[in-house]
Amino acid sequence: MAGATQDFSQFDISKEEIDKLVAEVVRYVLFKTHQNSGCPIKREELVQLVTKNYSQRALPAHVINAAKEKLSNAFGYELRELLRCRPSSATQGRSTQQTGVAEAKSYVLISQLPAEVYKKYVEDENSAHLSGFTFVVISIVHLAGGKIPEDILWRHLKRMGLCETDASHPVFGNAKQALETLVQQRYLQKDKVNGPEGNTLFYELAERALDGPVSEKMKEYISEAFKLM
Amino acid sequence: MPSLNWKHHALVQALMTRGPLKEKDFHAIFSGLTGKSPGAHQGLFNEYLLNINKELSSCQFELRACRDQYVGQVCYGVVNNVADEQSKLGTKYTVQQIAFFKGILEAIAQDVIAQGSISNIEALNIRLENQVLSTQGSQLLNGPLPAAFRNFTMSQKEKTLDEFVQDQWLCCTPDGKIGLGVRSCLDLRGWFRNLDVPFCEVCNEAVVKGEILCPRCGLKWQNQLPKAEILDEEEEANDAIQSQPAQRPKRKRTKTNETHEKDAVGCGSSQSSVPNSDFRRITRSSSRPASQRCSIDRWNWNMG
Repeated sequence: MAGATQDFSQFDISKEEIDKLVAEVVRYVLFKTHQNSGCPIKREELVQLVTKNYSQRALPAHVINAAKEKLSNAFGYELRELLRCRPSSATQGRSTQQTGVAEAKSYVLISQLPAEVYKKYVEDENSAHLSGFTFVVISIVHLAGGKIPEDILWRHLKRMGLCETDASHPVFGNAKQALETLVQQRYLQKDKVNGPEGNTLFYELAERALDGPVSEKMKEYISEAFKLM
Repeated sequence: MPSLNWKHHALVQALMTRGPLKEKDFHAIFSGLTGKSPGAHQGLFNEYLLNINKELSSCQFELRACRDQYVGQVCYGVVNNVADEQSKLGTKYTVQQIAFFKGILEAIAQDVIAQGSISNIEALNIRLENQVLSTQGSQLLNGPLPAAFRNFTMSQKEKTLDEFVQDQWLCCTPDGKIGLGVRSCLDLRGWFRNLDVPFCEVCNEAVVKGEILCPRCGLKWQNQLPKAEILDEEEEANDAIQSQPAQRPKRKRTKTNETHEKDAVGCGSSQSSVPNSDFRRITRSSSRPASQRCSIDRWNWNMG
């Protein structure tokens, strides 16, 4: 079970122990993804599953790679690695090397099924409204150049029937919380910018929305939507 | 390990994303993916499930089917087989809600006449302080109950009941009561064993809603529960079944879990007015005319 392509012979650990570690990581990823509604899981959390009992330096990386293989082979999920991006105001004029801070890695589960198969057999229609909301919001932010003031974003959402003050929307419940969920899921991030009129809160695209496949699909759908207009 | 392809993955992901599926829906997915119906290609269908389970078992998951004991419908689901630290992440319920759920399950499972359901009022009157919880390594011991448990209001219980039904841990039975949901039937088999719930000798499902049959002639017991009788001493010595009055008989099933037949030995709950009766239970969905299933050496009877 310990990944076919992973070589664990360098570690003085039995195959059973390796298999147990890999299973723990796989189970952690699956249950945590369910618990936090798809929010990215920090790499550090997975590393700790290994280092709490084992001190070999390279072991966590091997176990995480083996867990990636297992998730792909058994479940058809890709354990996609994301690099946490910082708000644009925090990185202006500085490179990553200059900040001296390693960017944190995190993981999300992505289905590897063909899109039409996923849509036909797997997609849960009870959560379709959330996918729709996510798409609309990140499209608005994308069309605004990747960053948009909070009040402008809500102005656009209000035109589509969702107000910032809605606490009991029939579909989304608390509207502010629904938007906050996109921040927790790392589709968006918040940035406070000092301006002549005081602090302004901006929403900008975060690593999940900027990730290649998501970004490409979003641009494709937006251009289709424009063609229909 | 067999290698799974995208069709296997679609079956697994469908269950994991959409939750337990009724047999007709799961079969429809299989037919759509493979072009073959499970009914006409049972061998292929079984092979798919077997290969999926060979992969899932390494992570302590299982693709399983169970039969709804209220309407007889078969459902499929992916279930977790081990209660470890990771699986504790898999719940969105609070400690109080879990205690409430346990109380409801026990009330249903320990119903001596195996109705398989309790009324809404009975569910709302479940007292959390009767539950001893083990949560994250700490135990709620004897002593003052945390305020959160004492203050779990009726309104919170009502809301929680609705959530349980919506999430399919509980269900509303056709007669308007609260019964076990399909998720409970799929997921909690091990817990039913720990609670000494008898298992049907025909379908090997936990008998939550069943019929009490006379172990000698197989006829349905119509009126009151029988009293236990003491069989010969050799049986008692061999089986460790307690036949003392007011004690809960120990089932053979707890001694050895190897055979399905022994799992079928039913027993009255300790709250029963006839505490040491032993009777057979089968689930309603698998009831058949009794034939030669009676085996005198399995049961303890008291005939008044």
